[in-house]
Amino acid sequence: MTSVADERGKQVEPAARRMITPHDLIMFGAIVLFGILGPLLFPNYTFQIAVLWLMVLFAQTWDVMGGQMGYNSLGNIFFFGAGMYICAVTQIGLFTDVGAFTSSTDQGTFNFTPDQYYIGVAAGLVFAAFGSSLLAVALGWIVFGLRGPYFAIGTLGIALGAGELVGAWEWVGGGGGIPIPVYPGSGDGKSFFYYCLCFGAAMATFIFLKWLYSTRFGLAINAIRDDEEKAEAMGVHTMRHKTVAWAISAFFLGISGGLFGNMTGFIEPLEVAFPAPTFGIFMVAMALLGGKGTIWGPVIGAILFHIVKEATWTYFLGWQWVALGVIIIVNIVFFQQGIVGWLQEKYPSWFGIEVEERSSSAKEAAE
Amino acid sequence: MRHFTKWSLAAVATAAMMGTSSLAYAACEDLTLGSAISFTGKYSTNGIHAKNGYDLAAKKINEMGGVKVGDKCYNFKIKYYDDESTPARTAQLLERLIKQDGVKYFLGPYSSATTKAAAPIMEKYKIPMVEAEGASRSLFNKGYKYLFAVLSTSEQYLASSVALAAEIAKKNGKKPGDVKVAMAFENDPFSLDVRAGVLDDIKKHGLKVVIDDKLPRDLSDMSATLTKVKALKPDLLLISGHSKGAATAGRQIKELKIDTPMIALTHCEAAKVTVKYGDSANGLLCPTQWAETLSYKGAAFGSAADYDKLFKASFDGYKNVPYQSAQASAAVLVWADAIKRAQSLDTEKIRDALSKTDLKTFYGSIKFSKAGNNIAKPMVLRQIQGGKYNVVAPSEWASHKIDFPRKAQ
Repeated sequence: MTSVADERGKQVEPAARRMITPHDLIMFGAIVLFGILGPLLFPNYTFQIAVLWLMVLFAQTWDVMGGQMGYNSLGNIFFFGAGMYICAVTQIGLFTDVGAFTSSTDQGTFNFTPDQYYIGVAAGLVFAAFGSSLLAVALGWIVFGLRGPYFAIGTLGIALGAGELVGAWEWVGGGGGIPIPVYPGSGDGKSFFYYCLCFGAAMATFIFLKWLYSTRFGLAINAIRDDEEKAEAMGVHTMRHKTVAWAISAFFLGISGGLFGNMTGFIEPLEVAFPAPTFGIFMVAMALLGGKGTIWGPVIGAILFHIVKEATWTYFLGWQWVALGVIIIVNIVFFQQGIVGWLQEKYPSWFGIEVEERSSSAKEAAE
Repeated sequence: MRHFTKWSLAAVATAAMMGTSSLAYAACEDLTLGSAISFTGKYSTNGIHAKNGYDLAAKKINEMGGVKVGDKCYNFKIKYYDDESTPARTAQLLERLIKQDGVKYFLGPYSSATTKAAAPIMEKYKIPMVEAEGASRSLFNKGYKYLFAVLSTSEQYLASSVALAAEIAKKNGKKPGDVKVAMAFENDPFSLDVRAGVLDDIKKHGLKVVIDDKLPRDLSDMSATLTKVKALKPDLLLISGHSKGAATAGRQIKELKIDTPMIALTHCEAAKVTVKYGDSANGLLCPTQWAETLSYKGAAFGSAADYDKLFKASFDGYKNVPYQSAQASAAVLVWADAIKRAQSLDTEKIRDALSKTDLKTFYGSIKFSKAGNNIAKPMVLRQIQGGKYNVVAPSEWASHKIDFPRKAQ
């Protein structure tokens, strides 16, 4: 990332629209305030708000590829599941035999001490993050030869295939899944513990991406989105940029998978770890709803999407999928640029875009 | 004048309402039981069977005057959420029921997978759950203290058919080692656990496994396995894959004219195989948690046959009452009994009362082991004979003799 800038020997001045505007600060302040006050004011909603932060993380990491780089991945959920399994296997494997723990015939019980639990979670999340990144590098080498719809379908294949493969892998419980070690403290304690981790992960993702998009790396992946051949001709090492971008997505998704596995308490391959038709599609829908290729779009899209989803699931039981479908259709047909994209067009000054300046800076970039 | 009529009407209506309610429900307070269960997705058929069972029993308890604690009485009300057949939703919905809806008493979801996700939540909040639809053995080796299951665990589902095959082989002068077994199990927590139980029994009796296939979820085609069955001609075919699996198996056994002498599959009643496939379903062996012909009896519903009659009268479209509904009703009865014995609404006291449950019901006896599973009720094996389900094993409950070999049509 920074190495990209160093490699050229000079730091590129960030474009005006990449700077931190007052609106950014207000929005970010509001979100942090809600993140801290939310569980204190509404302690009963802690778990749902925690899931909300995971959704925000999903949309943001999808946007790295889909929005900023123009590579629409339908298989990012693979890293969520990979992280979940790596985390679970680490948590268990550090202290006992994984094969025996997950076997459906084994009648023994194994109790984790609090120390073992916390060490397991910490190590599990670290391994999940780096393990998922490594997988992204390896898979990137295979699928980045594909473009457009072929890339989308190829990545979808990875996610679906992974679910089936893990389902056939007996050492990790196969289709029977893995019961995650039980949190050693109280119920509310667990909710709060994972809430803090989820919120922290989502905010870390946001700050990291905000910074990343302001660097030369951000410009490079935008160039790949706008015209990959031209970018390559200009000297951007496209393959390396694409791989690093995917590894970054995978890093944060891996953490989110480890967290979600622990919050759910029981993981299995098809519905919890690699749910391509639900979470896998949600992350795309959320980013599109908010506005892809913007820093705030995925965040706002995810928040709205999650609220609508939870509300319909509670009050329109039986119609929840219809409601969701309507939102996606309206979004795709009438607001292709998403909420933030639409606002950006309407009120460019909110986003630090001064119309004349942008055209001149765009000219500079082109030259 | 108009006002007067309005008011008097309202007064009469109120009086009438109070009158009826004091007759039927004696002004009981509501006591909410919570459940996140499958109304959509691949478990929806059975999720709805279970919901019907819960609702019928709650209605029955309320009609009988509710649950009396001291001088107060309580009517059961059940709050449901749809878990979409995925354990990923279970934890979120249960958190919501506990934290936002303040529910303190739980009925289980449908399927072992979702129950596996539910158990740690109950444990975490120390809130008891009586479940009726999660049979996996691995639920009962984790030391859960707040999980109680009225049903027999999954390793017992197809075990008696293995024993039966060995017995028949011996009678016909064959060695058990010559009995070839084909197995086809859905790759999900429940069926894999059934498989583990079957493998134990196959080992015990010394049978030979020739096919051991794992099938995808949401099973809609198993012709590859059945083609192998045609080629290898096993003596016993075992299939497990919830209702969808049973429906697929029933259809393709008919289409491919599978003539294996003994076929056992789970969830026949729930998949309504006799209704869908008629005569071609004859001879199938179906393990069941409960049968309306058994001589069980309890206070609330009377005998198993009485329950069967009431259930068919209450819900349309059932030719056979699936055991999923019966055991769901039994779970509600267990709640009523435990609260009555605890004489308190305190979850800890009720938990202790639950652990001491010793109840006779239309569904069979219910008594929990320390691990929380019901150890007082056997699984029985029924065979479809002339479109009817007849109990053929174990021998103490058998009302009919087994048709062997199965008469394929």
